[in-house]
This record gives sequence, C-alpha cells and structure tokens, in this order.
Amino acid sequence: MITTTALTKSYGNARVVSDVSLNCEPGTITGFLGPNGAGKSTTLKMIVGLARPDHGWSTVAGVPFVDLPNPTRVVGTLLDPSAMHAGRTGRATLMIAARMAGVPTVRVEELLDRVGLADAADRRVGDYSLGMRQRLGIAQTLVGDPQVLILDEPANGLDPEGIAWMRGLLRDFADQGGTVLLSSHLLHEVQATVDHLVVISQGAVVASGRLTELLASSSLLLRTPDPDALARALDVARIDYHLGPDQSFTVDVLGGRVTPDLVARVALEQKVLLTELRQSDSGGLEQLFFSLTAAEPAPTKEAAA
Amino acid sequence: MTSITMTLPVPTTGADAPATTFAGIPFGRLVRVEWGKATGTRAARWLLAAVGASTVGLMLAPLFSPSTIDQSYTSYLGFAAVALSILLPVVSILTLTSEWSQRTAFATFTQEPRRMRVITAKITVSLMLGAAAAVFGGLVTAAGLGVAAAFGRTLDANLNAGLLAAFLLYVVLNVMTGVALGALVHNSAAAIVASFVLPIGFALLGRASQLVAEWFDYSTTFNWLLNAEWSGHGTQILTSVILWVAIPLTAGLLRTLRREIN
Repeated sequence: MITTTALTKSYGNARVVSDVSLNCEPGTITGFLGPNGAGKSTTLKMIVGLARPDHGWSTVAGVPFVDLPNPTRVVGTLLDPSAMHAGRTGRATLMIAARMAGVPTVRVEELLDRVGLADAADRRVGDYSLGMRQRLGIAQTLVGDPQVLILDEPANGLDPEGIAWMRGLLRDFADQGGTVLLSSHLLHEVQATVDHLVVISQGAVVASGRLTELLASSSLLLRTPDPDALARALDVARIDYHLGPDQSFTVDVLGGRVTPDLVARVALEQKVLLTELRQSDSGGLEQLFFSLTAAEPAPTKEAAA
Repeated sequence: MTSITMTLPVPTTGADAPATTFAGIPFGRLVRVEWGKATGTRAARWLLAAVGASTVGLMLAPLFSPSTIDQSYTSYLGFAAVALSILLPVVSILTLTSEWSQRTAFATFTQEPRRMRVITAKITVSLMLGAAAAVFGGLVTAAGLGVAAAFGRTLDANLNAGLLAAFLLYVVLNVMTGVALGALVHNSAAAIVASFVLPIGFALLGRASQLVAEWFDYSTTFNWLLNAEWSGHGTQILTSVILWVAIPLTAGLLRTLRREIN
C-alpha cells in the first residue's frame, strides 16, 4: 500500500535521505525508527508530496500521492501536530478537512468523540496542549475514512494513557486491513505497537524486517556449576562459545541452527548440569539502535509551544 | 491524438484500485473551503469589520467638510475607494500567507496536492471579497449621499457606468496587489509591512522622479484609473499593474509550487 523505491534527497551537499526503499502491506503497522535528524520526516514528506526527491519515487495505494484525486479519502497524514491554525477551533479544523474530503459533517462530531475532544471542540487550537493537538491531528487523518495512515512521531506529547489509546486505535485500524507507517526516535515507544520495523540512520536504511525477527536474540546464555565440563561438552558438539562474566557461557544461535533444545541435549548427553539456559538479554537490534542513538546528543523533543 | 491515448489499455491494479475511484475535489468546493478559511477566524472577522468601519468612517469626511470637499457623487465614491484600498489588501495577504505563517500548508497540500488549484481558489475568494466590498462601498456611498441630500446639499450627480466600473476595477486591483504580495512573501507580518511601506517608498521616489511617479507608483496610476482618466495613461496604468500584480504573482506562484513544506 505504501512503496518507496530508492528515495534520495540532498540539501546542498548534505545528503539527508539515501536510497530509502520501504514496503508497507495492508493489515500491518510499520515503525520507521531512527535518531532525530536521521531523515525520517524528510522521507515521509517525500511520500506525501510535500518535498521533492532528487531521485527515486513512491506510491500510495499504487499511485504517486500527488496523483491521488482526493488524497484524504485514501491516506490520512499527520506530519506535525503543531502545524495547525491557532485561531481556529478544533471543530472548525475538522470541518475544513471534512469539506475537502467531501464527507458528511456528522463525521466531525463522531471523530471529536472518538479522540476525546468533544468537550474542547469549541476552544481555539492555540489553547490546546501538544497532546490535544496530536489527538485532533489523528481525528483529521481519519476524516476521509482512509486505508492508509502516515504519522510522524504520533506519540510525541501524549501521556502514557494517550500512548495506550493511540496503540489501540492503530491496532484496530490495521486489523481492519489498514496500512500504517509511523515514525519514532524511541525503540521502546513503538516496540509494543508495530509489526514491522525499518531502522534508518544518517539517511540510509540499516535494518528492516518483522519486529519479532529483528528483536529475536542472536545468542543463548548458559550457566553451570561445572564450567570445565560444559566447555568440553560444547567442544565435542562443535558449538562455539564465549565465556562471559560470572562463569556464564554465551552461544551464538547461528540464525536458528543452535536452539535451546539442542544445547540442552548436548548437556544431557555429557551429563552436565545446566542451571540456566535462556535467550540472552540484549538483542542485536537493540544494540544497533543504542549504538545509533548514542552517537547523537541528548534526544530533543520536537515539541511545540 | 486523443483517440490513440484513449484506446490504450488502462492497467487495473486489483487491491490498489480504490485509490482512484474517488473523484477529484471540485473547484467549487475548494472555493467554498477557502472562503470559510478567509472569513472564519476571529482575526479575519475583526479585519473585515475594520474594513467596514473605516469605509463608514471615511464617508463622514465629505459629509462634515462641505466647504473643502467637492460635493459630488464621484467625490463621495472616491472616499469609499480609498477606505477599501487600505485594509482590504491585508485580508487578501492573510488569505495567502496564513497557510505558511500558521503552517496549515501541511494539511492543505496533503488534502489537495495540486497546489495551483488551491492558490487559484484563494485568488477567486479574494476577488469575490473585493467585489463584495466594492458593492458595500457603493452602498455606503449611496447612504452618505442620501444623508447629504437630507441636509439639503446640492450634489453633482456626475456618476456614470464607466466610473462605477472604474471604481470596481480600482478595488479589485488593490486587492490583487495584496494577493500578489502574499503569494510571493509567505510571511504575514513581512507582507503586511511591505504592503504599506513599498507604496509609500514609491510615492516618495515619485517626487524625485516623474518617470517613477507616472509609471511605477500605483497610488498615482490607480488614481487615474479611479477617475477613468484613460487617455494617455492606459499604458502607464498597465505598466504599474504588471509591476505590482503580474510579476510578484507569477514569481509567487512559482515559489509556492516548488516550496518544500516545513
């Protein structure tokens, strides 16, 4: 439903997006993850025609976004919740969106209810908190009853309750066959929401795939009262190991060829007692992501006044 | 040519087909939405109220100064024209710049990515507001003349269809200078300041140079227009329209079509 092919963009000599290719399928939520300044927003802007790529192209529902006859009937877009007219009320903001989409204006009242802004509908958006603008922005994306949502940092400004609400809303949307692409600079924020991840760093995709696969631990951790015996057993079975702190053993799963089951059988055959056998804590993705985010200064919230 | 392109098979894309089943946004709907945006905020309503109040206010001048101000239909209408030319361009400026200043361009251009259609709708709304304001100015003038007549003044009924058309054109062209400036500058405050400072600057330059005064200072050339003094001034009026409307509007449209939304 969303496809980009080798999107590339530079500002002056600085290349901010480099050959980014994505593919988001109906019924899934894709997290677009990367540190601030990695090129996430620019990529999303190129998908919805607000920025022009130097090379590459993208389609939404099989068509370049700018060729969609009435885009909001197909794609809901929320790139910046602070980009709203401060002098308009929440209701007026949604009314404009409903008129543009050509949907009945009763939809506005439904959505105000759904995002929990019915009581604040007649207040000016300038008096809204960032979280309220985020909710109004979500309502705006849903006005045209689209099949696709594209959201830039939708959790920004939401409290834990708001984040849980957003999570449920997006899950429902995807379960009904919708396609969601959302960006975030925090792994733990999207971990419970997304099915697929695309990790971007310095403009380029560095990892992508199903969340479960990317987060799967790449190694097993073993512990025994008799390290010498375990070392011999692993040698006999030709399983490589590293000795960790506290006499722990770490074994690479080698893409699934080494399983906890196999290791347990090896230990059983050599009559070595195992007191611990589990996936090691730090997954490859987490390490990768922390190494990416560690390179930047303290993360800044893109919060608006 | 057309028959060839029309017989080309249209690729069907299965699951992707719903995307194009929705009709495009009709231009009339864009105009209605833009009309609502231009008139819907508190700031816009205050501004329009100020346009009305200043027109009524300036109409008091010929009423209270019969000895110094010509008591004629055109003289009264001229006061309405001047009143409308001050604040109405600001309404037009805000119609174009608020998308950038308030950053609503994010929403607007994802609702209708064909930016030219949005801008054309905004220009249409500005022209509609200009025409409505001209009618309002005419009504205020009529009321002013009615009051003057009630005071028993002798009024020179020197108005004709040509002068009324010139009045409408004068108001609309003033609106278009605001549209052009708003389309080009994108920043509300800067565009409004420019709309007041630039004409004054050119008027001052016009004092030093007759060339500037007669060709580029639109306060001079539009005044000829208002009084329907076409003979000898047609190309001068046209030149100032090109300088103050056509050039900035064209440059502004190109800028708007290309600009990245931030």
